[in-house]
Amino acid sequence: MSQDRIDRIKNAVRTSRPGICTERALIWTRYFKNKENRKKHPSIQMAESLSDVLNKKSIKIYPDELIAGNFSSKRVGGSVFPELHGVVVMQDLFSFVKRETNPLEISKQEIWQLIKIIPFWLFRFLGFKAYRSKIDTFRFIADQLNARYYFINESGGIAHLAPDYEKLARVGTEGIILEVETLQEKVLENTEQWYFYESVKIIARGLARFGKRYSDLAFQMAEGESDPVRKQELLDISKVCERVPEKGAVTFREALQSIFLAQIAINLESLDNAISPGRMDNYLYPYYEKDLKSGALTREKAKELVSAFSIKMSEIVPVFSKLITKFHGGMFNGQVVTVGGIGRDGKDASNELSYIFLEVMDKLRMRQPNYHARIHKEAPGKYHDKIFEILSKGGNSPALYNDDVIVETLVRHGYDLPDARDYTAVGCVEPVCQGKSFSSTDAALFNVPIMLELALNQGRRFGSLLQAGPKTMAVSKMTSMGDVKQAFETQHGHFTERLIKDLQAIERANAAYHPTPLTSMLLDGCLENGFCSTSGGAVYNFSGIQCVGPVETGDALYAIDQAVFQDRKLTLPKLVGLLKQDLHDEKWRVYLRRLDKFGNDNEKVDDYTLYVLDTFTGNLNGRMNTRGGRYTTGLYSVTSHQYFGEVTGALPNGRRKGESLSAGIAPSNGQDRLGPTAMLSSVNRIDATNFANGLNLNVKWDSNTIRGETGRLALKNIFKTYFRRGGMQVQFNVFDPKTLLEARDNPDAYPNLLVRVSGYSAYFNDLTPEMKDEIIRRTYISV
Amino acid sequence: MNLEIEEKQATIFDIQRFSIHDGPGIRTTIFFKGCPLRCRWCQNPESHKSGIEVAFYKERCAFCFDCKDVCPEDAILESEDVRINFDHCSTCGQCVSACMNDALRLVGKRWNALTLLNEVLKDKDFFDDSEGGITLSGGEPTMYSAFLREFLPLVKKEGVHVNMETCGMFKWDNINSILPFLDLIFYDLKLMDSKMHQIYTGVDNIMIIENLSKLAVNFSNLQARMPVIPTINDTQDNIADTVRLLKKNNLETIHLLPYHNLGEAKLPGIKTDLEPLDLPTDNGVYLLSAKKLFENQGIYVI
Repeated sequence: MSQDRIDRIKNAVRTSRPGICTERALIWTRYFKNKENRKKHPSIQMAESLSDVLNKKSIKIYPDELIAGNFSSKRVGGSVFPELHGVVVMQDLFSFVKRETNPLEISKQEIWQLIKIIPFWLFRFLGFKAYRSKIDTFRFIADQLNARYYFINESGGIAHLAPDYEKLARVGTEGIILEVETLQEKVLENTEQWYFYESVKIIARGLARFGKRYSDLAFQMAEGESDPVRKQELLDISKVCERVPEKGAVTFREALQSIFLAQIAINLESLDNAISPGRMDNYLYPYYEKDLKSGALTREKAKELVSAFSIKMSEIVPVFSKLITKFHGGMFNGQVVTVGGIGRDGKDASNELSYIFLEVMDKLRMRQPNYHARIHKEAPGKYHDKIFEILSKGGNSPALYNDDVIVETLVRHGYDLPDARDYTAVGCVEPVCQGKSFSSTDAALFNVPIMLELALNQGRRFGSLLQAGPKTMAVSKMTSMGDVKQAFETQHGHFTERLIKDLQAIERANAAYHPTPLTSMLLDGCLENGFCSTSGGAVYNFSGIQCVGPVETGDALYAIDQAVFQDRKLTLPKLVGLLKQDLHDEKWRVYLRRLDKFGNDNEKVDDYTLYVLDTFTGNLNGRMNTRGGRYTTGLYSVTSHQYFGEVTGALPNGRRKGESLSAGIAPSNGQDRLGPTAMLSSVNRIDATNFANGLNLNVKWDSNTIRGETGRLALKNIFKTYFRRGGMQVQFNVFDPKTLLEARDNPDAYPNLLVRVSGYSAYFNDLTPEMKDEIIRRTYISV
Repeated sequence: MNLEIEEKQATIFDIQRFSIHDGPGIRTTIFFKGCPLRCRWCQNPESHKSGIEVAFYKERCAFCFDCKDVCPEDAILESEDVRINFDHCSTCGQCVSACMNDALRLVGKRWNALTLLNEVLKDKDFFDDSEGGITLSGGEPTMYSAFLREFLPLVKKEGVHVNMETCGMFKWDNINSILPFLDLIFYDLKLMDSKMHQIYTGVDNIMIIENLSKLAVNFSNLQARMPVIPTINDTQDNIADTVRLLKKNNLETIHLLPYHNLGEAKLPGIKTDLEPLDLPTDNGVYLLSAKKLFENQGIYVI
């Protein structure tokens, strides 16, 4: 393999400033401005407009590339989705270039192009169409622009899936069209199903044509190429794209190319988030093995192709407004590649490609894709060794997923065993079945500690007269923890119902106005059932809602119990009075801060966090969404713990108004004082199988601790115990804290410092100042 | 000199989980309070006295002087660096309770065998998976021989690996009675010249060298260690003498520990006669040259 080539491509991508591409927004708008098109069936509209985009968008093949395809008109760029969250995003048009966090390049001309389309979409975007009543519409939009209690991501589309790329590679769009034609013959013309099949045919053809465009371009470029080596490479690209994605792939390279073009297209269909190639080592292995045998491929050449593919995944960025960035910071599209783990038969499925992907990941260390490794008891020793060797060298990838717990969890929540075994994470940490789940894993994020704030003030925010939640018991009347819990549960229940009502309106709007024929074509069940994935066509249809801030809430409840009912240092009204004054009395703040906290292996304290988790899962687990699936719960927060922290009042655990909440299920910042074994013992008290939408445990290591053979072994062994006792997931941030402080104060000196945020990696410089500080503070473990 | 505390309770000043440099695997290290030596370079000077004491951590102090209001002995001083007049302090602990900032703390807590057992068993799963265990450290754990005779059989019954770190200053009976419960001993050697030993540690080394020879015969898993104190014990002469002693006792390896001066920051906050040694923290240079000297003479350094 040519390392030089890979280095050059990587460098070109890494040094490109991310920008905004207007092409999708403009082509989409042109399609919908045509009144004739607006009369068509929504499925047809989506298939035609996406085909239009694929057919008209600018295409490019960059120097040295072996895998062709560009997400956008910029080397590193993102698209605007005016019919989804685009209107909200475009509020920020004038600040993208200059904003401090995740700046995006856009020219004046491009800004003007986008401004011109705003009026058309202002009353046509999805969030606006979700509610029939205009009062509900404006309440919902105002609520979401100023999210306090929850944030609904589905307003921007659903996405979050691992498409059936195995099938696409195997049969091509040609095979899919054949299958659809047979199915369509069995249904009546002009029915919903008929339109769905029609739309799949349209977009399948559109995708095939997209490949041909690259074939033609490569051929033209070859003609003008003077370097004979590059000329041949371009001719090879032309040959590959002539065949795929239309035809089934024959070679390893064709399979990669086919998948990558589909990856671009799905990212242009609806929300460009968490479209995950998934278990690539697993479904690509037959191609690898065959090519290796025939002599068409070497291990080194395969590694080069995988590297070329992998780098291209970093060419896309999300175009988010400042507000959405607070929830999903770090320029992250959540494209997951998972390696290792058991196969559908329950046996270890790791293979040589797993190691190739791990080596590529270790070598490239780029923002995307988001690399995850599945582990299980029977995994080969050399597989474990490889992973811990990478981690102890200071890599923050891969994140580790425990098959033994996740498979059990998925089965408990309704998956068939072989499908559960075939899971991959998407987005951050959410397990779904490859090619079968349409799980909307990031449907919404829920702010739990604010429920306690409401519970301590009769349903009003501290300092507010507005009755936001139900009027629960006044603190002056509360005489036991039972009373406090009762009020908390009432507030929590009330807002859960409101969330579900809003979310279901958005679910219905997605089905009615934004079907996704391309996504559905690559999800098992949709073709057989004749329904789009947005209408519940897929085999599995969960919706994931995230529990944010459970640890602060648990610690806060424990603090109330301890300070008011055990130590009797404070009365409840006095405590609430202190909170309303933002704990300005330093003496009391320090007292509350010093009370025991989650993460120190103290059962009495940890029980309160377990109680909060039980309340959350009890309210949501098992409820039905409108796609015929169930709501599941997740224990990860992306970067929303930061945002929800900003809007949440002071809490009895000694946390002041505005301070960040803790990420995922990690102990409150700096509060795990007894080291990693105690922290993991606390986390192990949680029954992870309640969280079918995944769990995120971030552990930060000082590089000194895990250095060398002693460190590698300690790391390996400590997680052996964590996983054996039911731990679901863990990911690492490894560095010298000094490095981070320097990087914070001198960002130019560390342009490419990669840190793990929440199931994904981001460049440190892409984070907000608060997030940077948090990464520095977060669960700092040193010896 | 007091080498023995004949009580069934032990005073322990710290229990550190996830220790990975005090023996194999993941370990919980128990720091016993009380030591017959007063090494000038001691990193845990709060371990010297066997009783519970009050310590002051000035970085945390908010200067509210709530401590002064509650002190029945009028032992609180209002200076910035020193808070306690140890001549008056009766270690009643009232100031510690009053301090909201954790700037005043009681060093040392009394443990009985059963509660200590429960505490260390919290990480049993981690010991099992990593082939780790517990490490008795200090201070000088052999001082608590009576306690250990009760505690260690309970630990061994649970199948936990036990390592002990000792300075070698003990009555033979005190270690002999617990020897069957130990799996590993880290034995510290500091200076071979007895007079120098007296100057830098407060005691001569006769008993320490005798005990080493006895242990080498009676215990199979003995590991010698030496803290490398720049210019004090890393001299050619001292290392040559150490090598001779090791060889005489059929010991082939030594574990060298780097010197750091972090312990000196603790001195103003506790009652002690120890004074800073004014040596720089070793960034590895001294350790490396000591390592070479040992290896040139056929002792393997770990």
